[in-house]
Amino acid sequence: MQHTLHACRLLPALALIAATLSACSPHAAAPAAAASAPVAAHPDFSGFYNLDMKVPVDRGLMAKVAPDTVLLQDTGPVEFPRGEYGGLKLKPVALEKARKWDPKQQLSIHNVCRPPSIIYAMQGPFPIEVFQSERFIVMKLEYYDMVRIIFLDGRKPEADYPHSMEGFSTGHWEGDTLVVNTDHLEAATITNNGLDHTENARVIERFKLSADGRSLLSTQEFEDPAMLDNRGVRFIAWTRQPGQHVYPYECDPSFAGNYK
Amino acid sequence: MKKHVITGGLLAALAAVGTATAHHSFAVFFNTDVKLVKISGVVQDFQLRNPHGTITLLVPHAGRNIIWRAETNSPSLLRRRGWTPDIIHVGDKVTLEGWPARDGSRYMRLKSAIGPDGKPIGQPLG
Repeated sequence: MQHTLHACRLLPALALIAATLSACSPHAAAPAAAASAPVAAHPDFSGFYNLDMKVPVDRGLMAKVAPDTVLLQDTGPVEFPRGEYGGLKLKPVALEKARKWDPKQQLSIHNVCRPPSIIYAMQGPFPIEVFQSERFIVMKLEYYDMVRIIFLDGRKPEADYPHSMEGFSTGHWEGDTLVVNTDHLEAATITNNGLDHTENARVIERFKLSADGRSLLSTQEFEDPAMLDNRGVRFIAWTRQPGQHVYPYECDPSFAGNYK
Repeated sequence: MKKHVITGGLLAALAAVGTATAHHSFAVFFNTDVKLVKISGVVQDFQLRNPHGTITLLVPHAGRNIIWRAETNSPSLLRRRGWTPDIIHVGDKVTLEGWPARDGSRYMRLKSAIGPDGKPIGQPLG
């Protein structure tokens, strides 16, 4: 009952966000031609999805991944132990930082509710919910209540646009595939074991529906030349579950006091 | 020619664990290479709030009670498996099984819990 009520409150709120963003852009004006593209021409990703580890890696999406990119096999519950980076080639500065990493810092009051960036958050075993419109897509992650807005109207961030864990995302359609470019990320973990990306990391994601329309398939490529000599990609798939909604996460930092 | 470097056969044991990542690394904090810890005791406190729920247990040991803590998977995920904030009560006698902390502290990551009625608490990951 409580979650039903919350969902009832959340959905109008996201609709209001959508309407507000359409009406008054916080960013530079969008090209009119891009804004008038018919939504019906594109697949509808709207819905609630759970991470689905049983979906095989999509060859079509992987064929579009850039050269010298390693496929990280840590999507979902799997985590690399300390010192394992799944084939990523660390620059000396990244390696040194990872060696000095103190995992107990993750459990400080300051950090315990600090979300990762989308580079780590998207692959987590938490549901997502997608709200799609003609000019942008809102992606709500259950993990840490993160909300991504993917602008489809060609807008650019202002010069002083802040960095964040969600970054600034723009998208365009290539046939049935949504291609999303993200920058303006805050520095955060890549593999949750001491390897971090800088605020200059860039991400390219490709999203498409499976042939039966039930699953949302994606590749998430990232690069950060300051920390890595190669690039990484994760294949992430979610399966739609009608009638459900993302729950509130509402992280409580008092958890930090438990690990003694 | 596109080249994808794929690391194969990686971390199969951890994949089978069925844990959920969160703010702190499961692989770094908890030991999956040793026997699971199984303890029985009386619930002193239960919190079901993200990033992890916590069960604090008084466990009889050598003529006194010692405190064990178990952290659960993310409560928002557990809610879909039947967990609620009042599914466990202070004073309940429960048995917890999980992965021990690597640092040797009396702390575990919960794998399963048995309630006072002898039945599993919540539904298994499925």
